[in-house]
Amino acid sequence: MTTSYRRLSTRLLIYIILVVFALLSLYPIFFALNSSLKNDYEYTNDKLALPSSPTLDQYESVLINYRMLRYMGNTILSVSIGTLLYMLICSFAGFAFGQLRFRGRLLVFTLVLFLQIFPQMVIASQVYQIASKLGLLNTRTGIILVWCAYFAPFGTYIMTTYFVGIPRELLEAARIDGAGLFRQLFSVMLPVAKPMLGTIGIIGALGMWNELPFALLFLQKQELRTLIQGIALMQGEYGLTVPTMSAAVLVSAFIPLSLFVVFQNHVTMGATAGSVKG
Amino acid sequence: MNGNRKKSLTSEGRDAWILILPLLVLMIVFILIPVMSNFYYSMTKWKGIGTPEFIGLRNYSKLLTDERFFSALKTMGTLILYIPLGVLLPLIIAAILRDGLKGWKFFRSILFLPNILGAVILGTLFSVLFSQVGPLIQFLSSIGVEDAVRINLLGKSRTAIQILSLLFVVWLRLGFGCIYFLAAMGGIDNSYYDAAKIDGAGWWQTFFRVTVPSVSFAIQFFTVLAFIEVFARMYSMIFSLTGGGPGYATYTLEFGVYRIGFIGFQRGYASAWAVVLFLFCAIIALVQIRLIRKSEAA
Repeated sequence: MTTSYRRLSTRLLIYIILVVFALLSLYPIFFALNSSLKNDYEYTNDKLALPSSPTLDQYESVLINYRMLRYMGNTILSVSIGTLLYMLICSFAGFAFGQLRFRGRLLVFTLVLFLQIFPQMVIASQVYQIASKLGLLNTRTGIILVWCAYFAPFGTYIMTTYFVGIPRELLEAARIDGAGLFRQLFSVMLPVAKPMLGTIGIIGALGMWNELPFALLFLQKQELRTLIQGIALMQGEYGLTVPTMSAAVLVSAFIPLSLFVVFQNHVTMGATAGSVKG
Repeated sequence: MNGNRKKSLTSEGRDAWILILPLLVLMIVFILIPVMSNFYYSMTKWKGIGTPEFIGLRNYSKLLTDERFFSALKTMGTLILYIPLGVLLPLIIAAILRDGLKGWKFFRSILFLPNILGAVILGTLFSVLFSQVGPLIQFLSSIGVEDAVRINLLGKSRTAIQILSLLFVVWLRLGFGCIYFLAAMGGIDNSYYDAAKIDGAGWWQTFFRVTVPSVSFAIQFFTVLAFIEVFARMYSMIFSLTGGGPGYATYTLEFGVYRIGFIGFQRGYASAWAVVLFLFCAIIALVQIRLIRKSEAA
């Protein structure tokens, strides 16, 4: 009797702790949603209460007056092209490192591992110089290339660990059938690697969507801004009220959050990809 | 026969280089050359335009008298002190979830949610939540805390650093840590747990004697990742949460490079900061590479 009572109370305690942590995770986004449906006056009066008469005015003003609609278009365009390019680069290189034998493999792969750690700020100043010499400042091509350069080493590492696990017989069979390099890659290897490809796609897309330093550096014309850059700069430029800022936050987070709900398994796989062993 | 094999190897080598070429070019142009040229620029006086003027090691001696530099080191020291908590907490939660609690997948996803929002949004939201005119102060006043306004969490150096550490090192990494450790624990042989049960071991004993040793690689790797986050992934959060303030209280090396180089236009001096940051990151990278090699050999 007492042991079962004790077991029940520990269970209850565990649930309470977990619920507290869950609430801590959820509250910021709930606060943003709640505030975004209020007008400025109502928010100032009471920051905690639910909106008495929910309004979408903040969203309208954020999308049109503060040009978030434009920023969203920019972000979707750059991130989707960037992610595609990134997936190609990572799967090409991952296939080479994971399946092919060549001189210098270890050296170059170690370089990849080494370079993936550095923060944007270690390279920002010189990246800016190089980009301006190549005429890449204030262009989408520029931000896409630099995003790919910055995120691809980690993606390559993940793809490599995946390709290492695929038996080489598959490749040899394809060769005996006379498949050339790109047929080996596109009709044999990439279909096998599809789940991991989806995972690095999500990692890359999220990374680019939420990236700030390079966007600040490369996209200085207002009409080129990304959503995250918009949020980071708007407060200083306009002194946004909290309800307006909340609406902006939700506009920016809407697509990543929807992706998370749909592709949860890929996302959770991505969190562990390439680094869980033993 | 032998010649044929050799031929296929060389063509494989050519194929491999073709495939890694895009990655290699991007990496060299946008990471390797910039990283290396920092060493040169750190010995110059340079505003970002015009010709850099060579001044030897003067930027480095300036570092040693710069209050901001020591403030950055202090902030990072504080952040590192939070790493043990940031590792232990998700490890314990993962061990609890592993016991097959109802709804664990749901909890796992909820805890991961902040990672989707990203540092800029989180920093912006928390700067509002903790502000002098924010909901936290309103809540505290409403339950009768006197002078709640004077708490000013982000406005005082001490509390600002603690808040930043708790948010970035503990809270934000919780969801990722749970998923990560749960995956690692999935590989533990159940017979260990059965044996522990037969020995009459309690939950904590089982945790420290079975779970922790079994996932020791994951713990080491996760700790290295935490160091990477602290040294190399904090800029966006600081930018949107505290802007480095109050004063220089929440400067890190990364944030210092930005403020000095891009707001203060002392690109040469900022490069000296970047070199120091490079050295820290290089050490962490080498530790990480060794760890990966060790796991491959095992």
